[in-house]
Amino acid sequence: MIDLAQWKAGSLEIWREGEGRTVGYLHGMVCAPGRQPFVTELASRGFEVVAPSLPGYSRTAPSDDIRNIHDWVFALSEIIDVAGLAGAPMVASSTGAMLALELAAVRPEAFSSLVLVAPLGLWRDDLPVADPFSTTLSGQRALLTKDPTTTALFFEDHESGDALVDATIQRYTARTATASLVWPLPEFGLSQRIHRVSCPVTLVWGSDDQIIDPSYADSFAACLRDVRGRHVVNGAGHLAEWDDPSAVASIAASALN
Amino acid sequence: MKTIWFHLMPYPELPDDFTDEHRSVWVDIDPALFDARVGHRMYNEYIDELEFAASVGFDGVGINEHHSNAYGLMPSPNLIAAALARTCPDAALVVLGDSVALYNPPIRVAEEFAMLDCISGGRLVAGFPVGTPMDTLYAYGNNPATLRERYHEGIELILKAWTADDVFSFNGKYSKLRYVNCWPRPAQKPHPPIWIPGGGSVDTWEWCARVGYSYLYLSYFGYKAALKTMQGFWKCVEDAGRPANPFQAGFAQFFGVADSEAEAIELYREPAEYFFNRCLHVYPGFADPPGYKTLNTVRNGAEGMVERAAREANERAAQAAKKAERKAAQQSFSAASHMSFEQMVEKGYVIVGNPDQVAEKTVEMAKQLRIGHVMSLCHFGNMSRDLAMHNTELMATKVLPQIRHLWDDEWEDEWWPQPLPASDRVMPSPRPTVSR
Repeated sequence: MIDLAQWKAGSLEIWREGEGRTVGYLHGMVCAPGRQPFVTELASRGFEVVAPSLPGYSRTAPSDDIRNIHDWVFALSEIIDVAGLAGAPMVASSTGAMLALELAAVRPEAFSSLVLVAPLGLWRDDLPVADPFSTTLSGQRALLTKDPTTTALFFEDHESGDALVDATIQRYTARTATASLVWPLPEFGLSQRIHRVSCPVTLVWGSDDQIIDPSYADSFAACLRDVRGRHVVNGAGHLAEWDDPSAVASIAASALN
Repeated sequence: MKTIWFHLMPYPELPDDFTDEHRSVWVDIDPALFDARVGHRMYNEYIDELEFAASVGFDGVGINEHHSNAYGLMPSPNLIAAALARTCPDAALVVLGDSVALYNPPIRVAEEFAMLDCISGGRLVAGFPVGTPMDTLYAYGNNPATLRERYHEGIELILKAWTADDVFSFNGKYSKLRYVNCWPRPAQKPHPPIWIPGGGSVDTWEWCARVGYSYLYLSYFGYKAALKTMQGFWKCVEDAGRPANPFQAGFAQFFGVADSEAEAIELYREPAEYFFNRCLHVYPGFADPPGYKTLNTVRNGAEGMVERAAREANERAAQAAKKAERKAAQQSFSAASHMSFEQMVEKGYVIVGNPDQVAEKTVEMAKQLRIGHVMSLCHFGNMSRDLAMHNTELMATKVLPQIRHLWDDEWEDEWWPQPLPASDRVMPSPRPTVSR
């Protein structure tokens, strides 16, 4: 079920699926959030999954007020309140995972626990995080997921006429929102704040992540207070929950239970 | 019509296999390709050429800003303009310009432009480009989501710094300054004329039309392909209720003049092919980062100039690859992907011919596009200084007299610098001889 709630910048799209204990899902870079196999997989394991789209994605209004990471964190803080996710467990991916960590560092009670799929936010000179945009669209798809067909909903046209123009604009706005989070590189000082994250964290990484090397799990584990588990999803890319929804949902369900 | 001699300052010694061995002329070009001895020679020869152009009668000399770019080696156009301000005593200094969002705080642009305007005695044209994605987003790390807002705020700050009667505070979203006090102030009042170089952004057309700035279409692809863009701009001028004064618009065009058309083709083939086939080798992945275009431009489906360069390079490469595959030929990939000089001339990328032919085509171009400012590229690619000066001299002495008076009887150029009165002007003095 899609809700259109309101936040300060306008509409806020929230996908809700399943019944049971409420768990949030915060999407990653570029992709089309909302209804997707991973949400269904997680819901089928006995959860009510609440998945808000971040500003600029889907029908969530972009905000002209967002100019830096502080503004993004403030926006997420408001969004989890509006979505009824404050204090709930959260599964977050990629840029969404970075934002979740940033928020948890300044508002430690924001989440009861975190399952993070390939979070961004740290930087190692020996293994720089890839630039997702300095490539062609097909190159971009290859960076995001191991199986490029999983992102078809985002990258391919399924409309015509005015709907096609609207879809093009929506995709462009979502890509712009991602760019604003990773440009010029996705490191905004999280390493100085991450020790404030007090909730239990589970780290999940696709073995074939082309954006941020799976060994970054070590870097995150070294500075997080309470890492409960580390998992590698074989054959999955950066957005591992798109490549292998079932495997990531199983890991998340196990961590949340 | 005013003609400005415009220099890109390309690196003249990119290797023959550049397009085979390197993915882009911009952003991540191999630093090992730069030879400082070539750089030393190049900058000095290029400044010679600009000074020569001013001395033979061009209305202005023009320069612009690029970063990490082998075809545009002016990271700081203001440095070059400072040299020219002293050595070109009469020509307008058209700086196209400073990419405002790259200066932090942008008050630096207000200050340096004011310095140039004072040194030159009020001959500065202040160009404010957004800047290409390669310059602003990749080489300088600006965020595409905020680039244009930062740019517009910067221009607001600069204009206020130039015109405010008192010291003021500026509480912008991106620049916060307790004390803004631009010393020196520009010589021109209220400020130098503002030209906005652009690609194909619909919003830039509307903005220039609305506030009355001169729009300059800096295309590399000739006047024949520029018609749609310029018609879009003029429609915006009409919608804004302003007169269609041709001096509110300009266009960049490559020229090659010789005593005969055949000689022109012979002389300018190599530098043109060097520029279009080697210098415009831009990796497509850099050309269209999300957020750079306005949503209106996305909706309009307009294609940016650099985006086009990257696309054409890619298409030529793809065509060449297919051709090579089909024929299983031994020909090199780069040779097959190159565009011929004849194709460039046919498409209008370069106007070549004897002086009369060039004048005729230039007038045709100016009337079609309705432009009062021509940014003439008489040096391009790896052209030698001697040839650039030959081209420049023929253009100045035999073409400009035939095109200069276009529009003058109907329109006033409201966007041209207004120098200080001659009585107030100071010329560089000859150095006194010192006996040792």
